[in-house]
Amino acid sequence: MIAFEHVGKRYGGRFEALAHLDFRVERGEMVFLTGHSGAGKSSLLRLIMRLEKPSRGRVMVAGHDIAQLHASQVPFYRRQIGVVFQDHQLLFDRSVFHNVSLPLEIQGIEPRETARRVRAALDKVGLLHREKALPVELSGGEQQRVGIARAVVNKPSLLLADEPTGNLDPQLSTDIMGLFEDFNRIGTTVMIASHDLALIARLRHRILRLRDGRLVADEGAV
Amino acid sequence: MKPSATPKRPKGAAPKASRAKARAPVRQEATKPRSRGGANSHQTRFSSRLRAWGRHHRAMSWDSFYRLVRHPVGNLLTMLAIAIALVLPAALWLTLDSARLLDAELDESATLTVYLQTAVDTAQAERIEQAVSAEEAVLDTRMISAEQGMAEFQQSLGLDDALAGLDDNPLPASIVVRPQSVEPAAMQQLAGTLEALAGVDEVRVDLAWVERLRHLAALGRRVALALGVLFGLGVLLVVGNTIRLAVESRRREIEVVMLIGATHAFVRRPFLYSGAWYGLGGGLLALGLLGLGNHWLSLPVAALAASYGASFSLPQLDMTGATILLSCSTLLGWLGAWLAVTRHLTSIRPR
Repeated sequence: MIAFEHVGKRYGGRFEALAHLDFRVERGEMVFLTGHSGAGKSSLLRLIMRLEKPSRGRVMVAGHDIAQLHASQVPFYRRQIGVVFQDHQLLFDRSVFHNVSLPLEIQGIEPRETARRVRAALDKVGLLHREKALPVELSGGEQQRVGIARAVVNKPSLLLADEPTGNLDPQLSTDIMGLFEDFNRIGTTVMIASHDLALIARLRHRILRLRDGRLVADEGAV
Repeated sequence: MKPSATPKRPKGAAPKASRAKARAPVRQEATKPRSRGGANSHQTRFSSRLRAWGRHHRAMSWDSFYRLVRHPVGNLLTMLAIAIALVLPAALWLTLDSARLLDAELDESATLTVYLQTAVDTAQAERIEQAVSAEEAVLDTRMISAEQGMAEFQQSLGLDDALAGLDDNPLPASIVVRPQSVEPAAMQQLAGTLEALAGVDEVRVDLAWVERLRHLAALGRRVALALGVLFGLGVLLVVGNTIRLAVESRRREIEVVMLIGATHAFVRRPFLYSGAWYGLGGGLLALGLLGLGNHWLSLPVAALAASYGASFSLPQLDMTGATILLSCSTLLGWLGAWLAVTRHLTSIRPR
C-alpha cells in the first residue's frame, strides 16, 4: 500500500527532517508511527498526503509514485485517503452533519446518498444523536470522533491519523484507538502517528520508531 | 460553501431499522478497499457528474447570494462603488450615441450650393440643372430660382420693405445639390467639377463645421473608450479587493476542504458567484443612477433645446443597452473575483 524508497526530506536546504527512510506497509496493515516530537512523524504523514514532495527518493502509494502526480490530480488522490488531524480541522460554523458530509460534497455525491453515508459514519463513531450540534458544543473526544467520521465517510482504503489521542484522557484514547482497529478489521490500511507509548504497546500492532528523521526500529512487522 | 444536503429528518426521528440499514453498507463496501473507491470516482457516469456539478453551482450561487444579503450595508456600498464606476462611461456612451443621431441628420443636410451667373435665364438654368444632375456624384438637386431666393431671403430677414425698394433682383438663381458621398474630399472634388460648368458662378461647400463636429465625436468616442477601460479596471479592483477579503476570512475553511481533496474549481466557485452578484448588483444600481440622472437633467435640457427652437430629449438606455451594461458588469465582477481568488489560492497551502 505504502512504500518509502530511500526517502529524505530537507526544509530550507539545511534542516533534515527525514533521511534514508525505507519501509513498506502492506494493504490492510495497521501501523503505529512513534518517536519524540520533532522526530519526523508529521513530516512523514505530510509526504503521504502529498502536502509535500520528498527531496530524495520515492514515496509510492498503491503502486504510484505520488511525486509524479500533476497538481490537478492531487485533489483526486487525497480523496482516497482519510486523514484524522490532532486539532480535528473541523469547521466551526457548520453542524456535525455538514462537517462529516464535506468530503462527499466535494465529490458531488447526491444529497440522499450523502445523508445515508454521513449517518452511517456518525453511527459508527457513536455520534448519530449529535448530528445537528455545532462542533463547539462537543467535548474534545466527541470532536475527535467527528474528525474520524469525516475521515472514513468516504470509505478510504488508507486512513492516516496524526496524534489522534493527543489531548484525550486514557479511557477516551483507548476508545478512539478501538475505532481505528474496527476500521482496520474491515480492510482499511491504517497508519497512526502517536507518542502515547504505553497505549500503543498494549495494542500489539506494528510500530515504526523514528528518531531525528531516521527509522530506528520496526517492531512487530508481519 | 454551504452544503446542499440538508438533513430534513427531525431530530430523534431516525428509526432503528434505518440505522441498521445504514450501518451495513459501510462494512460491506469497505471490505473491498480501493477497488470500490476507485470505481466510485472513475465509473461515475458523465451525466451524474454533470448533475453533481450543476447541483454545486446551484448551491453556491444561492449560498453566495445569502452571504451577500446577510451583510446588506457593506455589500451595498461595494455595489455602489461599482455602480459609480459604471455610470460615467455609460453616460458618456449615451451622449455619444445621441451625437451620432445628430451626425446622421447633419449628413442629411450636407449639401453644395451652386450659384448661377445672374445673366442666366430660366431655360438655361434648367439645362444647367440637368447637367448637374447628370453628374455621377450627385444624388439629387433642387432649383431655387432668383424669385424664390428673394422670397426666402425676405422671409428669413423680415426686410420686406427695404428689399421691395429694389428695382432688380440682385440674387442669382441657385441649385442645391445633395451629393452621393458626404466625405469632405469627395465633396471638394464635386465642387470643382460643378464650378467648371458653363453658367456657374460659384459653388459653396460649407464643410468646416461638419468636420469639426466629426472630430469632436471621434475624440469623444476615444475618451469614452479610455474611460470605459479605466473604470472597468476600477470595477475589477473593487471586486477583487472585496473577494480577497472574503477569501482571507474563509481561509481556514479553504485549507480544510483542500486537505480533504477539493479542487481549485470547487474552492473558487462560491467566490466567482459572489463576484458575479456584486457585478450584477452594481450594474442594476448603475441603471438606477442613470435613470435618476436622466430624470434630473431632462427639464433643463428640454428648456435649453427649446430656446434653440429644437426639440431634444436626453437619450435613454434601451433594452439592448441595459442588457449590455448588466452583462458587462456581471462579467467584470466575475473576472475580478477570478483574478483575486486565483492569485490568492496559490498562497494558501493546507497545513
